[in-house]
Amino acid sequence: MEDIIYKILGAILTIITAFVVGITYGGLTRKVIARVQNRVGPKFYQNFFDVLKLLSKRTAINHGVMQHFAPMFIFTSAVTVLMFIPILHDGLFFSNFSFHGDLIFLLYIMPFGPLGMALGAGQTGNPNSAIGVTRGLSQMVGFEIPFVLSLVALMVQFETTSVTEIVNIQVESGVWMIFSNPFAFLAALFAMFGMFRYAPFDIVGAPAELASGPASEFGGKYLAIMMSSSSIFTFAKLVLYVNLFFGGAENLVELLIKTFILYMVPVVYGLVSPRYRTEQSITYFWKWPLALGVIGMIWAII
Amino acid sequence: MNTYFVVLLILFGGAIISFAINKVSYLLSGIVAFIATASATVFFYLNVDTDNFVQFSLAGFDFQWGLNSLSLLFTYIVLGLGTLATLYSIQYMRFKNNLGYFYFNFLLGIGSMMGILFSQDFISFFIFWEIMTWSSYLIVVYNGNKTHKIGIKYMIFSGIGAYAMLMSIVMIYADVKSFLIADYIDYISQVGLSGHYLQIILLIVGFGVKSALMPLHVWAPKAYANSPMGYTSLFSGALSKMGVYGLSIVLLSLLTNFNTGENVSLGGLFEGINAEFIRIIVQWLGAITAVMGTLYALKQNDAKKLLAYSSIAQLGYIITGLAIGTELAVMGALFLAVLHAIFKGALFMAMGAVERQAGTTDMTKISGLVRKMPFTFIVTLMSIIALAGIPPLGGFVGKWLLYEGMITSGHYFLVVLIFFSSTAAFLYCYRILFGIFLGQEEKETINVREAPISMLIPMLLLAILTMVFGTYPGLLFEPIANAMSYIGYNDVVWEMSTISNVWGDKVSLDYVSLTIFTVFIVAMIFLTIKNYKGTRYVTTKDISTSGEMPTENENLTFQLNFFQPFERAVAPLYKRSMDKIYNTIGESLDALFNFVRTIYTGNGQTYALYVIVFLVIMLIFKDSIFN
Repeated sequence: MEDIIYKILGAILTIITAFVVGITYGGLTRKVIARVQNRVGPKFYQNFFDVLKLLSKRTAINHGVMQHFAPMFIFTSAVTVLMFIPILHDGLFFSNFSFHGDLIFLLYIMPFGPLGMALGAGQTGNPNSAIGVTRGLSQMVGFEIPFVLSLVALMVQFETTSVTEIVNIQVESGVWMIFSNPFAFLAALFAMFGMFRYAPFDIVGAPAELASGPASEFGGKYLAIMMSSSSIFTFAKLVLYVNLFFGGAENLVELLIKTFILYMVPVVYGLVSPRYRTEQSITYFWKWPLALGVIGMIWAII
Repeated sequence: MNTYFVVLLILFGGAIISFAINKVSYLLSGIVAFIATASATVFFYLNVDTDNFVQFSLAGFDFQWGLNSLSLLFTYIVLGLGTLATLYSIQYMRFKNNLGYFYFNFLLGIGSMMGILFSQDFISFFIFWEIMTWSSYLIVVYNGNKTHKIGIKYMIFSGIGAYAMLMSIVMIYADVKSFLIADYIDYISQVGLSGHYLQIILLIVGFGVKSALMPLHVWAPKAYANSPMGYTSLFSGALSKMGVYGLSIVLLSLLTNFNTGENVSLGGLFEGINAEFIRIIVQWLGAITAVMGTLYALKQNDAKKLLAYSSIAQLGYIITGLAIGTELAVMGALFLAVLHAIFKGALFMAMGAVERQAGTTDMTKISGLVRKMPFTFIVTLMSIIALAGIPPLGGFVGKWLLYEGMITSGHYFLVVLIFFSSTAAFLYCYRILFGIFLGQEEKETINVREAPISMLIPMLLLAILTMVFGTYPGLLFEPIANAMSYIGYNDVVWEMSTISNVWGDKVSLDYVSLTIFTVFIVAMIFLTIKNYKGTRYVTTKDISTSGEMPTENENLTFQLNFFQPFERAVAPLYKRSMDKIYNTIGESLDALFNFVRTIYTGNGQTYALYVIVFLVIMLIFKDSIFN
């Protein structure tokens, strides 16, 4: 009985942590982008206010049940991914279900949310939404290739597909994956650019082109749920990267430092880049990132 | 009387009765077909016995019929899907002509597939195989003149497969002096594989045609898309699995088990071939089939053709899994084989429902059916999730086993290829959902209604099955483990709802389903109470378009060139097509035959002229020829 209570408490604590960290990172990103563009920018906690404001709004219209379900799909997917990733190495509250899933499972649960979202966006009938979705899916095919190559290299090198095991091996040997297989890490880093969708890969939302794409028909509480889900999802993905390549984290402070540095890479890269066309953003991942992934895999096999 | 005879008698008898009874009433024919398959199913599973073998002699050949655990696994597909497909067809075929012809071939198909699974000797195997091919051919051409060419293509490739198989059987008889499959396996286990590779390659060609293995797949897209959908669900779900059944015998019982690693020179063309080499070729062919099938699927505008290409891609995974031959990969492949029958059967049925209710499945013509056909949409959605391999539905289990089987056995580049294909599959999965059910609601589809209940029941049953197998795959692992012990994998480990690989990593599917459903339901309750109530429904024209109000007649539909950017990105892969190569061969053959026709004019006078010319030549050269 006590176990179950710990589990539930841990799960709730994890979700709250992920939400707070994710939202704060979003606010900090806005600040960073503003400073680079020589603006003052909003306060770093502005995103909290945005979510709270949106949560207090009432929605007047709907386009059908699928639209209503879409935010739940994306929330479910974000929380599920979070539950199956070990947040801290040896954490009492943060391990959740991480023993019950592995990398292949994570790879397949990750598109669950975006696909559910895509269904909702499709039902609204807004052509911009559908175009955004097709771009997002196409881009996913692009960046998944180097990502999978890098993950396979990892699995081969450590002879395990479990995230927990990979962290344990790195902690025991003291050598982080980023040093033992830098090529796989680089391939995964490139894939991350596509995953986080900052410029030049912001083709899905595409401000001033698609009018925020799939999200364009969602407002009020729906948008609040979507914002918080994407914050949780961002945090989950960052933690996954830290686990795989930076040897996990012993405590929250270490985790925050590692994730923040990692998160700033795509943000800073995006600051100086204009937007790609869709096919450019797909084929981008099939050039150097793909080559790096192949090298990383050969490195791992040898 | 023996179980096997009774089952075949029920099915073939049912075929004749439903053909004859069509004259009385259009409904009776379908009902008879349904009763026949249902009673055959019930009778078969009440009397099923894997140790029961029947032997008899006919025309000097020894026949043996029986059932092993492998064929038992495939009977679930054939009889289960067959029963549901006949039930579905009653309403689906209601307003069509030639129902007697349709149901006759339908039941003949099911009966012959059962016959293939019963056969323990090559002769009856081949006979039933041919009955299956012919009955399916007759249904492919059911839709009239425009299917004529499609039928010919199907027949040519089936012919190639059948002759390859027949040749192999003759060669096997010359070696073994027996037609029994078990004798052949025994024989190979004693003398080894060397010197018998040609037989095995020919068998792989024969089975590869039916399971749409590249480069023998070109008949499949059109044949699947142009048959009546009630039959296509069986065609793609069960009939193609007969190829998989054959391949699993050849690739696993023969190639994997008795692969001694020897490299025997056969001389000439077959220099340096060994079992490993054949398996690697088949693995890569399967993976390339998967990739190309997916890429062509996402180009299609017709949902039926899209699904047909997707079937080819899925069969590619299965064949790759079989050819890899490790325990995990084979388990994944067999799991996917059953799952593919379930979800692709459901998908083709759903498309049939759309075709019947809305008149077409062309995604550029219809869209926005979700509010009109909600149940069909749910079935399509669940089957698509299973097809895409997203947890918590069944497809994920098969994909997971397949990937882990490949990674743990060292097929790293193959796994990337398969992964590319299955990620690109998300694209066409979304295409079919969006194209038919979502998007702008058009005026043309305003009168569309939900399909009749007798069509919905089989679809919903199949959709529920994908969900059950997603959480409790152990229900299916049990027969699969038995089947694998028959082909030589002893002590296959399985658990009810946990899947694990040889490195000891596992996924607990009950935890996965628990998390997903809990979070989803909590979020749904919160949002529905807080947000959904009190909202009103607005049409798909009432959307945010930067302050402008779209008018009723404004076209906001987005269906053409759906994945154009992606198609541009992978354009080099579209350049070569097996179909084009075959068509070029066909055209040059055509030209050759046209030339031959100028000699063989069909005119008696010309032939008389040839005789005279020949005689004259003989007379002139008689000295030099006869000396």
